[in-house]
Amino acid sequence: MDFFLQQLINGITLGGVYALIALGYTMVYGIIQLINFAHGEFFAAGGYMGVILISYLSSQGLHPYACLVISLVLSMGYCALLAMAVEQLAYKPLRQASRLAALLSALGMSIFLQNGLMLTQGVYDRAYPTEITSGGFEVGALSISYMQILIVAVTASLLVGLNILVFKTRIGRAMRATAQDKVMSALVGINSNRIIALTFAVGAGLAAAAGIMVGLYYGSVNYTMGFVPGIKAFAAAVLGGIGNITGALVGGLIIGMVEIFAAGYISGEYKDVFAFVILIGVLYFKPTGIMGENVDDTRV
Amino acid sequence: MKRLLVLAVALLALGMLFAGCGGEEKKGEQVLKIGTMSPLTGPYAADGNDIRQGAEIAVEVFNEAGGIPGFSKIEMVSEDTACDPKQAVAAANKLINEKVSAVVGAYCSSSTIPASETLAEESIIMLTPASTSPKVTERGLKYMFRTCGRDDHQAPAAVKFMKDVEHVKTIFIVDDKTTYSQGLAEGVAAAAEAAGIKVLEHDHVNQGDKDYSAVLTKVKAAHPDLFYISLQNSATGALMVIQARRMGIDAILMGQDAVYHPKLMEIAKADAEGMYCTFGAIDKDAPKFKEFQTKYTAKTGNAPGAYSAYSFDSATAYLMAVKAAGTTDPAKVRDELLKLDFTGASKQISYQENGDSGSNYTVYKIQGGKFVPYWNSLTGEKY
Repeated sequence: MDFFLQQLINGITLGGVYALIALGYTMVYGIIQLINFAHGEFFAAGGYMGVILISYLSSQGLHPYACLVISLVLSMGYCALLAMAVEQLAYKPLRQASRLAALLSALGMSIFLQNGLMLTQGVYDRAYPTEITSGGFEVGALSISYMQILIVAVTASLLVGLNILVFKTRIGRAMRATAQDKVMSALVGINSNRIIALTFAVGAGLAAAAGIMVGLYYGSVNYTMGFVPGIKAFAAAVLGGIGNITGALVGGLIIGMVEIFAAGYISGEYKDVFAFVILIGVLYFKPTGIMGENVDDTRV
Repeated sequence: MKRLLVLAVALLALGMLFAGCGGEEKKGEQVLKIGTMSPLTGPYAADGNDIRQGAEIAVEVFNEAGGIPGFSKIEMVSEDTACDPKQAVAAANKLINEKVSAVVGAYCSSSTIPASETLAEESIIMLTPASTSPKVTERGLKYMFRTCGRDDHQAPAAVKFMKDVEHVKTIFIVDDKTTYSQGLAEGVAAAAEAAGIKVLEHDHVNQGDKDYSAVLTKVKAAHPDLFYISLQNSATGALMVIQARRMGIDAILMGQDAVYHPKLMEIAKADAEGMYCTFGAIDKDAPKFKEFQTKYTAKTGNAPGAYSAYSFDSATAYLMAVKAAGTTDPAKVRDELLKLDFTGASKQISYQENGDSGSNYTVYKIQGGKFVPYWNSLTGEKY
């Protein structure tokens, strides 16, 4: 039982990270039907910005938690700007072109950003300072680290924030309108280009937060770190019903759990297989994904 | 008519292109070219760049000392293998086109083996500073040399340490399924069973994984005396060490030569304290190593990585052999290489008939953020 509960905790933590990244995929897909393969790179860029800022701020003698909050906000902002620049450069000119062109542009952007990160930051892993990340407590035989709680807390609060943004504000309404019909919403006075850029920015900001969480949790960042979580988060978004925010959360948690339980009860080498087998199964029996039925109402 | 004209111009242009590169260089002004191949990108780029830079220092040392008689200068060409067998063969072909006379590399055994077959067809000497799979030298390739040790020596050395020094009764093994890491882990499992140590479980993770919480929860539940980590990469090794300690696993931790890298401590910091790693003995107080270290740090700004010294020694051995032979003719250089017996930056090097240079695995303990030599597998004594 302890073993099961411990794996459950591990699964929720990992799932939370996937969910944060998956939100960006799902939002961008919802609004312009583009699978933004460069999204994993925003996650990596956020992780790097985090290590740079946290190292600098903590060398200035700031309290670790103050460092964390400031760095989180700044890297989210940085990645939001980066995403808007990428959108301007690589996707906006192709908005009228075929979907394949935009997809290829996204793949190209992913390679470009990854190599940019390698050339500017070097090929070696960068280590996060450990003051914030170490520590935890035991409940019976279970060990829960502060980082796991932090990841779940940050994921939850960002999700609440995102829900308020999308469903309770004017900008959110404009986003939903643009997602439903770009032309019609433009006719009623919504600046759809601005809304699309904003969607990219919000998605990348969430990915940046996930990047910092992962960097802190695992202790280091690497320029290739965006690729695998990017693919998994994409799977999570599709699993939950791409275009659906709640779906991204559910999909992320499912992929995280399946991965951990497969590794825990079967073998570590099969965990990715199981995550993707479930994905294929869902797509086979319910191509719209788990939360797919109400895509038109709630998608972004 | 117009088409003909275009064709003529095109042919002329092509002709000029070939004329440009075809000129025979005069005797005595020949450039001696050696190649390196290692993963310069991808997850193993850290070790790969160490290898490239190590060989570069050797070339620099020889050039500064006046080069080699009969050659105007020594040049180095680097190719990226990305630890991918296909790309390694492509890199080998590129180096053949560049007319290199020897290649230092590669890193992953799974790249070195196919690349060496390609190089063998052209009788190009290959010296690997880092590939430890027994197969590298067991295929009877005439021009294949190895400066580092062998896995089938490393596994027994590690197990002997577990049994004799730590009196371990149970172990848990995890590898990441590369030719190298899995082969070594299987070697350790077999040697452990033979030595009466119980292998509780031998599990695998995937390359590129960052989250090991699931497998580590298993380790924690199994309560092994020792947790053996066989991963291809020091950075992932560090991740596993951090996560293991945070999860409260108090087993002895032991890694191997791919985990052995200064980056391990830089990332895992205090969590790595007390961990053991097997690696070929490098005497860091030896004047030869100190000299190399100074040059390396001055040039790269980093301390030498795990395989930098082996790479430096591989290139040095080749250049010494060419100097002695007075030619790059592979058969003559091979004879000279076999005659060598010199103190390198890494160890005393003399190549045997099969190309191996002998293993001298030492168990290092991480103390105060440094790898400290702890136990010598050749003598069975603690330092």
